[in-house]
Amino acid sequence: MGVIDVENLTKHYDGRTVVDDVSFTVEDGEIFTVVGPNGAGKTTIVESIEGLRRPDGGRVRVLGLDPLRDGRELHEQVGAQLQESQLPDRIKVWEALDLYSSFYRAPTSWPELMDRLGLAPHRDAEASKLSGGLRQRLSVALALVGDPRIAVLDELTTGLDPQARRDTWDLIEDVRARGVTIVLVTHFMEEAERLADRVALIDGGRLVALDTPAGLVRRAAAEQRIRFRPSEPIDDAALRALPEVSGVTRDHAQVTVTGTGDVVHAVMALLARRRIIAEELRIEQPGLDDAFLTLTEHPDGTDRIAAVPNPSTEVR
Amino acid sequence: MTAFAKLTLVEAKLFRRNPTAMFWGLIFPALLLVALGALFPGFQEPSEDLGGQRAIDLYAPIAIGMGLATLGLGAVPVYLATYRERGVLRRLSTTPVPPLRLLSAVLTVQLVAAAAAAALAVGVAVVGFDVPLPRHPLPFALAFVLAAASLYAMGLVVGSVAKGASAAQSIGWIVYFPMLLFAGVYFPREVMPDGLRTASDLSPAGAAVAALEDAWLGTGPAASSLIVMAAFAIGAGLLAAKVFRWE
Repeated sequence: MGVIDVENLTKHYDGRTVVDDVSFTVEDGEIFTVVGPNGAGKTTIVESIEGLRRPDGGRVRVLGLDPLRDGRELHEQVGAQLQESQLPDRIKVWEALDLYSSFYRAPTSWPELMDRLGLAPHRDAEASKLSGGLRQRLSVALALVGDPRIAVLDELTTGLDPQARRDTWDLIEDVRARGVTIVLVTHFMEEAERLADRVALIDGGRLVALDTPAGLVRRAAAEQRIRFRPSEPIDDAALRALPEVSGVTRDHAQVTVTGTGDVVHAVMALLARRRIIAEELRIEQPGLDDAFLTLTEHPDGTDRIAAVPNPSTEVR
Repeated sequence: MTAFAKLTLVEAKLFRRNPTAMFWGLIFPALLLVALGALFPGFQEPSEDLGGQRAIDLYAPIAIGMGLATLGLGAVPVYLATYRERGVLRRLSTTPVPPLRLLSAVLTVQLVAAAAAAALAVGVAVVGFDVPLPRHPLPFALAFVLAAASLYAMGLVVGSVAKGASAAQSIGWIVYFPMLLFAGVYFPREVMPDGLRTASDLSPAGAAVAALEDAWLGTGPAASSLIVMAAFAIGAGLLAAKVFRWE
């Protein structure tokens, strides 16, 4: 049994099914990522875990607790970071941490946490006036101040610039290294690829796939693409004869070979045997992004997840 | 320190940092008395129109009623709607502390602020304009508590039905200005036409000023004033509990 068990979770709003028969288990100590396009039902799923939503069907257990019945006990052990701002105007960083630590039976030391998350220099700043990256740091700190076993982080890096995003990723890895299980909701594939032990792919309220990032890519069997300019002529037939190759196209002197599995190795070996050098060699590996598109069957790019980070709102 | 004590302390600090709330909620009632008494000729003279009373005697309880209406209908709905709109209540519901605790802390701070504003106004009236100390202190306190309960409960209703902070402010004002009229801010209850006077008697702000005035200078608050306030407090309180939404 994992620390979180979700069985056949279903939720409707106004007759519309937003979560449809979703089941998964989160293991102790992992970074479990829930990904999917906006409106896929990700937030509803994690809110059911936090006890903020009453499921219409199915069963949720967190650390053996029922989120709705045992809310108080659950909230002692599950720290949450919700989307959007959640603090009153004019509250200062240290006051928010001090306040939130008073909510818990056995909180961690908030001055230490503030230090660890690099918030100490901003202790007297008003939370609402912090930059985006620092605000996210504070909301992570507030999620951790109760010394939880599980931290649920929703769209943590949305709106951050690339540097702040990477800093936040380091932070999450650091938190996990301290033994906290992390449930991370995101629509950035890059984030899932970098952090996740396992990825739950949600689309249209359904769990489309659940695997490691590499497993998802393999499962999607997306094609790799090799482009090069051969130093000596090579005929298409020789390339096509390789079992891993699925297609060969030419554009003037440039050859593009597509294929699966060990196609890169097979092509390179063939070229080496013929003493041909692959000039201007480029290899395009499929990523989680491609796997996502394949697995959610939106090949035309509709509902496509954001592959490019939003413009920065913050400079650190 | 318990979570409630900490919440109240933090809310008190936030109130102190909010110049608008400090001015209108805390200082304005006393300032109004100073301005009226010092600047308007005749405010300190007994007037036959007012049954031999001085205008300043009547405006002392009016200022207190106004302070309560300002906090109850100006501040409380906006707090409630803002905390809901910005997810403050929602964030709290992911902690072991129920969000109701935060609302209680907010109301506590608002009540303490109103009591301080009233004390300030009483002080100004007594020291500055020779108004006697309230003759019936306990009934005066009771009238104050009931007035606060009825006006704050109405503020909670407004904050519950309003979609966001700006809507809460607009709706709050729509209720606020008639309350000022009923309280006698524009002209005291003593010179109101009969119809308006009756409406004032039946409104929480009018009943509040009547009860405060009777406890301060007269023979004690009329039961009818206390009943009107209690009815509004209970009615609006129940309505607020019914229409309230956490998000």
